Amino acid sequence: MAEEETGYRWETEYEKTWEALVEDESGSLQASVADIVSKAKRRHLLDKIGNVRLGMMRHLFVIIDMSQAMNDQDLKPSRILTTLKLLEHFVEEYFDQNPISQLGIMASRNKRAEKITELGGNPRRHVTALQGLTTKPCQGELSLQNSLDMALQTLRHMPGHASREVLIIGGSLTTCDPGDIHSTIKILQENNVRCSVIGLSAEVRVCKKLCQATNGQYNVVLDETHFKDLLNQHVTPPPATANTESSLIKMGFPHHSLTGDKNSEEKASMCMCHLDSKESQGFGSNGYFCPQCKSKYCELPIECKACGLTLVSAPHLARSYHHLFPPEPFKELLTSDIMTDAAVCCYGCQAEILEPQVYQCEKCQQLFCLDCDLFTHETLHSCPGCASLRSTPQTPRLHVS
Amino acid sequence: MYEMSDQTAVSSLLVLVLDTNPVWWGSRQQETQVQLPECLDAALVFANSHLMLSHNNKLAVIAAHTDRSHFLYPMRQEEQMQMDADGGDASVGGGDGKYELFAQVDSVVKKEMQQLMSQNPEGEVSPDSVVAGALAMALCYIHRLEKECTIGIKLSARILVLKGSEDNPSQYMNFMNAVFTAQKQSVVIDACIIENESGLLQQACDITGGIYLKIPQETALVQYMLWLFLPDPTVRSKLTLPPRAQVDYRAACFCHRHLIDIGYVCSVCLSIFCMFSPICSTCQTTFKILGPPKLPKKKSKKTS
Repeated sequence: MAEEETGYRWETEYEKTWEALVEDESGSLQASVADIVSKAKRRHLLDKIGNVRLGMMRHLFVIIDMSQAMNDQDLKPSRILTTLKLLEHFVEEYFDQNPISQLGIMASRNKRAEKITELGGNPRRHVTALQGLTTKPCQGELSLQNSLDMALQTLRHMPGHASREVLIIGGSLTTCDPGDIHSTIKILQENNVRCSVIGLSAEVRVCKKLCQATNGQYNVVLDETHFKDLLNQHVTPPPATANTESSLIKMGFPHHSLTGDKNSEEKASMCMCHLDSKESQGFGSNGYFCPQCKSKYCELPIECKACGLTLVSAPHLARSYHHLFPPEPFKELLTSDIMTDAAVCCYGCQAEILEPQVYQCEKCQQLFCLDCDLFTHETLHSCPGCASLRSTPQTPRLHVS
Repeated sequence: MYEMSDQTAVSSLLVLVLDTNPVWWGSRQQETQVQLPECLDAALVFANSHLMLSHNNKLAVIAAHTDRSHFLYPMRQEEQMQMDADGGDASVGGGDGKYELFAQVDSVVKKEMQQLMSQNPEGEVSPDSVVAGALAMALCYIHRLEKECTIGIKLSARILVLKGSEDNPSQYMNFMNAVFTAQKQSVVIDACIIENESGLLQQACDITGGIYLKIPQETALVQYMLWLFLPDPTVRSKLTLPPRAQVDYRAACFCHRHLIDIGYVCSVCLSIFCMFSPICSTCQTTFKILGPPKLPKKKSKKTS
């Protein structure tokens, strides 16, 4: 919340926020309110920096604080329940935007850290685990060092090309550590682990130092909507650090065999992912077969247990392409400047543009309304005008941040 | 359509994407092959049937041409007012008791299509259409209608693509972006293919849960459309539909465009290669070559 240079909120001068609202001739405030709303909408888009190398394969550990402070009811119904509910959405969005990444969940209470789920790529397992956490009580104190040590044990062994991240959601203002937290911070720095913290109560200096030393983000929530916004910021891949190695990863693309084939020689077999389960789930002749060792799996992406090959399907990789080739931000123009005899219409949704601002794509010169602009940049990730043109897009050079 | 238990009316929006590539349509000369006017008639019959099913149903038609996409129906506001001012087109099948909305749809689509075809495109024309652009426009339109929908009515949208020409591989990324967006917005994409199988549309239908069909007999186009594609996705679970085909999800390597089972993926830009190479051709990053572990050198004895 507070920047480096400016002081705390109570130290800064009065912000005369009422001066931002200006009445027009008829005394109505609607134009300035609409102006503020549209500026807020576009603020998100303009903040993104382009042409930076991103860490696409991510290994993220989420550490949930389950200390006494999380029973506080300033976020309804209680901090811990709000956190768990928002984390369920976060897990689904995370795997949607980063399909080849992995996630692990840990919790910290009673001055110890416990691992809730191992690092893995199946969203359902994490969501089930989160739902199971709602019944567990929050007690004791948070221990930052123990949880960071436990996360580091696993992250240390991850390959160099993947980004190693830790996200701590903490509501407690204190931490109870067995040793020197600064030495832990130094070890994290050496191992290239990026730690971010979302605080629920107030800014804590140790967390701020941790995030600064490891290049992470430190934020404190204002309310539930802000909390959701901050979590969403962690869904998109962060810029890769200079220490991230780039390598060619061997991956397999298995084909799916269905039971419809009469000529196939596939016999019914047990799949490798449900080998240990007591029910007969996973027994059948359809599934994905690893190209190297022919073991069967029910769903992708997964790492083959027999030969260690990462199995993905082409759409999984395609889901991440939009991070690498995002559309350029549109240029803002005034509607009154457009020289046409007919009314100005949006190219995407064919609606007549009534607001004073219209947005133009620099590559295809088509005009769009504000809603289509936001839709294009946040959800669709391709400009409809450029998609309709025939010329192939240039692949941009990616720089390391 | 059956009503939901909580009494919210469901309005179904159908977006028809027609492939109007003049090169491909012009190359169909035989008697048994269906021509563009017949295909357009079939599409209009289908569109009218959709509008007839419920008062709340809505329609949009987009033409995917060789180098651009164009909205055929609904027209823009000022063109609508122009047409009303001209006195309307009552002579086109509208005079004698035909439901006014159907007559309007028919006349508008036909007029816009004529205008589209009469414009001569400059430069080269290729035998494939840009469906990705039409899909992106359709999704923007659906997004706008969902916002403008009146409270109390739920809008369920789907896209039907009528395609005949071949796929254009350069629009892969825009196409997949549109498909993932459709999946997120719960928009079902169906495909009705006339001649050339399309791998892209097969993937799109599989990901969004739609129907993909290559028409076995082209003269029966209307029948296939009305039997298979007219029912809403909610009703389809009760019907017997053609079985889902096995979709080939293998990736194509960037260097040769061959489909591969095992490949190497660059960790920076996610391009796929079939062989190990020290430099990625897309993002120019150099990779560490993992050689065999170094053994200590044995000192060779000098032979005197």
